[in-house]
Amino acid sequence: MNLFIDTHLNDVAIILYDNLIIAKEIIKEKKENSRIIMPTIKKVIGDNKLSSIIVVNGPGSFTGVRLGVTIAKTLAYTLNIPIRTVTSLECLAISSPNHLVAFSDNNGYYVGNFNENMSLKEEYKYLSNSEFVLFSSKNEVSIDSELYYDKIIKYALEKKPINPHQVNPIYIKKLSVEK
Amino acid sequence: MKDVYILSIESSCDETSIAIVKNGNEVVALTILTQMDTHAEFGGVVPEIASRMHTENITMVLEETLRKAKMGVEDVDAIAVTYAPGLLGSLLVGIEFAKVLSYVYNKPLIKVNHLIGHIYANKINDNLHFPCLALIISGGHTELIKMTGDYEFELMGETQDDAIGEAFDKVARVIGLKYPGGPNIEKLALNGKPTYKLPKPVNDDSYNFSYSGLKSSVINLVHNEEQRGNIINKEDLACSFQYTAVEELTRKLDMALKNTNIKNIIIAGGVSANKYLREEINKVCLKNGAKLNLPEFIYCTDNAAMIGAAAYPLYLKKDFADLDLNAESTISIC
Repeated sequence: MNLFIDTHLNDVAIILYDNLIIAKEIIKEKKENSRIIMPTIKKVIGDNKLSSIIVVNGPGSFTGVRLGVTIAKTLAYTLNIPIRTVTSLECLAISSPNHLVAFSDNNGYYVGNFNENMSLKEEYKYLSNSEFVLFSSKNEVSIDSELYYDKIIKYALEKKPINPHQVNPIYIKKLSVEK
Repeated sequence: MKDVYILSIESSCDETSIAIVKNGNEVVALTILTQMDTHAEFGGVVPEIASRMHTENITMVLEETLRKAKMGVEDVDAIAVTYAPGLLGSLLVGIEFAKVLSYVYNKPLIKVNHLIGHIYANKINDNLHFPCLALIISGGHTELIKMTGDYEFELMGETQDDAIGEAFDKVARVIGLKYPGGPNIEKLALNGKPTYKLPKPVNDDSYNFSYSGLKSSVINLVHNEEQRGNIINKEDLACSFQYTAVEELTRKLDMALKNTNIKNIIIAGGVSANKYLREEINKVCLKNGAKLNLPEFIYCTDNAAMIGAAAYPLYLKKDFADLDLNAESTISIC
């Protein structure tokens, strides 16, 4: 059984997958994620034995991504099972016919531009709301597309596993101290 | 009775630390990964960077601790973690990590208050005897607490404004010292004399403290001297500030020792690493026939061993937490 963990925004998706979706919990309420993620994971796994972990390692909410990644890498490390990462922008591009994708975090937009084979056309970027208005007027961008988890998980399972110690969030957006 | 091994995790600020502690007083293994050099570049702890580094390093810190202990997580009896007080983002990394260990290995989860951890650091050397007076002095706390037994606390007095460590850090900044400010003031003060007259913080009969007025008077003094074009003797100013700040503690402690007739004293928290402060507090204790207990130096600053020590009484009481445990940035002991 493969466990998929996505906590990159306020919505939390925890899915158990074995050729098809076995169990799925999507939590949309804006509760404190730290209260709900582990109890939800426990519920979704139930009595099943895990064989691999897939985690969405950002970009998105810094804390959200960090909670998901910390849990995922610790699960993979302690259970000694493979772990793979998929980015939130890859999730959108896999789910959408358009491979120029973006999603909003209220203050701006994370943008991913992919080729047909899902390689990156350019580095991920974060645009302010006003920058994004200009960008989207010149480019056809799919925004906040609906996610197709079975497609995403199939795609992620094709990737190479990573050493759990090396699994880390990607943040993209700069910190105020870095500017 | 069977030996109890607790695997404990501390990530409330800028140290990622994991320990295995036996029976609440014997450290089997301890790993502390400090981020101090990274934060020094920014002149103080950057909470987001602290949280990021905890996530990057925490599984490696576990591996190192288990290697030193020659144990596996399956060999311990419980998982303990600091849940408050501290930086929320940093605390959460440790908490989620602890929950996974608790879940995967089916071990009880114990939530520990970081400040109580600092008090129980004294257990490691078997130096926590009741009744006792505990002086908690750190960047966020200045509290005088009476303890009559395990987890039995009575607040006698606390700071009305800034914590003592906060005042050290702010004064350090004003006189141009680098982060970490407190230890640098202590270093500078070694070569100074208490020549600057600074106002006594709270000159009353309560056990309360105040450090905001003292801090402001140092800041004003520096600005006034600068405006007059005078050069400040930084060594003397650091020494004068440290002298006044510590005298406030010793005067109140002296009063408490006389009034309660308690003979065991412990000091805990980051500021307790200050050697001048330790000497002065020790003098007050000797004068009153009391014994000052101090953790070993390594257990004075943030570390997971003290969390394991503080978790032990909770383990015996079966005071366990659930997987919905959350972090709290502020919390009091009493």
